[in-house]
Amino acid sequence: MIQIRGLSKEFLGRDGADTGVLAIDSLNFEVRDNEFLTVIGPSGCGKTTLLRIIAGLIPFDEGEVQIDDVPVTGPGADRAVVFQNFALLPWADVLTNVAFGLEIRGASKSECEATAMRLVKLVGLEGFERRLPKELSGGMQQRVGLARALAVNPQILLMDEPFGALDEQTRRLLQEQLLRIWDQERKTVMFITHSMEEAVLLGDRVMLMTPRPGRVKEIIDVPLKRPRGQETEKSTTFVEIKEYLWENLRSMQVLDQRGEA
Amino acid sequence: MIPKTDKQRRNLSDWSLRICVFVLFALSWQLSAQFMKNMLIPTFTETINGFIQLVFVTGRIWRPLYISNQALVLGYILSVAIAIPLGLAAGRVKWIDRILNPYIGVFLAIPIAPLIPIAITALGLGLASRVAIVFLFTFVFIAVNTRAGVRNVDPGLIEMAKSFGASERQIWHRIVIPGAVPAIFAGLRIGLGRAVAGMVIVELLLVASGLGRLLLEFAGRLQAEFVFATVLVVIVEALLLLSVMRFAEQKVAPWAHDSSIG
Repeated sequence: MIQIRGLSKEFLGRDGADTGVLAIDSLNFEVRDNEFLTVIGPSGCGKTTLLRIIAGLIPFDEGEVQIDDVPVTGPGADRAVVFQNFALLPWADVLTNVAFGLEIRGASKSECEATAMRLVKLVGLEGFERRLPKELSGGMQQRVGLARALAVNPQILLMDEPFGALDEQTRRLLQEQLLRIWDQERKTVMFITHSMEEAVLLGDRVMLMTPRPGRVKEIIDVPLKRPRGQETEKSTTFVEIKEYLWENLRSMQVLDQRGEA
Repeated sequence: MIPKTDKQRRNLSDWSLRICVFVLFALSWQLSAQFMKNMLIPTFTETINGFIQLVFVTGRIWRPLYISNQALVLGYILSVAIAIPLGLAAGRVKWIDRILNPYIGVFLAIPIAPLIPIAITALGLGLASRVAIVFLFTFVFIAVNTRAGVRNVDPGLIEMAKSFGASERQIWHRIVIPGAVPAIFAGLRIGLGRAVAGMVIVELLLVASGLGRLLLEFAGRLQAEFVFATVLVVIVEALLLLSVMRFAEQKVAPWAHDSSIG
């Protein structure tokens, strides 16, 4: 379980103190074990900052970030991140990329290889083990990114707009695949997105954030049964939640534009 | 052989184009030299003949070539050994970069030839001066390219490695160095060209030895075809070294050959 209490993060301006930007302002929420939480909000709401704080990649100013009652002080073996721009090593083949996290954590060569092979299979990239990232499509590259994160068998998967850089068709296929995999290997997932469909389709709950400073507006339950797929998107509940998100996001955008004028 | 793939076809057309350009070049050289009847400008065939004489018949080139290359090899190795660690450190560690930056600027801006007399005053007329000049000609370009290569490593990759708990050492080994290799090779190639130039210049200007001495000798006797032939030897050597380096780069960093120059 991820527990966030009173979390604040300020980015300092270039010249130091007073010009800082409050990226996140006293957040309180929890991500339950094996829950799929999607996070949505307009740009500037601090969702990526939040994910990086939980990943242990950047420090925070105030509050508590705990995983199963243990404070987060840096990256840990219990978490793995899937990045928006894939972050694959361009000089390494698929298998080496998938094994990267394991290797960093000191797994033996044979263990790395066996696990990487299993995950390459899981994400459907058999036959591409020896290809370089530049020889793969964007969707295939992100499957490598997902396999790499799953390879270290984390308890928590942190996904930072993982499908944001992909085209609509690829994105849909990957959403379905992610749900299938999540069904097999239950993890706690925190998934950042700016697509309303994606937020509702994937999440057990959707966390809606407001921008400048980043705050939690609301956490919305998504009572849609699983497995979810194409049919899900036709249900009234799906459409209603999506509409509700849009109303909220739209008012934020309007406010935002007024604020800047 | 009938070309099968696009790549083979492209290679074939590349080479036929290159040969055409070369033939055109040789022909215009030949004709203009014959037309001018200037005894200081040999024709293309005279130069090639001189080349064959020097390299194969009399073999006069080999001893001076060996002597010159001592300075080249030692100076270049010294450059690489100092410039790459320096560039790596400056690229990743901010305070080292801040300290080194002004000096790198000085070395980039300074013309090296005027330093030759100083090097000779300090180190004498021997091999040491020549090595020092080759070093001065070369090292800053390797250092600057290495630094740029390190700085251009995708910060997203470093963050990714950190997210898996990579140590600074692991980040160096797995991300920074492999990421910088293409730029380092670019620096090594530029450096090599500079080193060859430095080798010949120092021998021409002050320390008469090796190829420089040979060139001065031929020039003094107005044996223009041998002057040109000696220059041709230097060019051939430089091209050979560059292709060895390209081969090494393709072995070490096969993912990078698209972006490299030279």
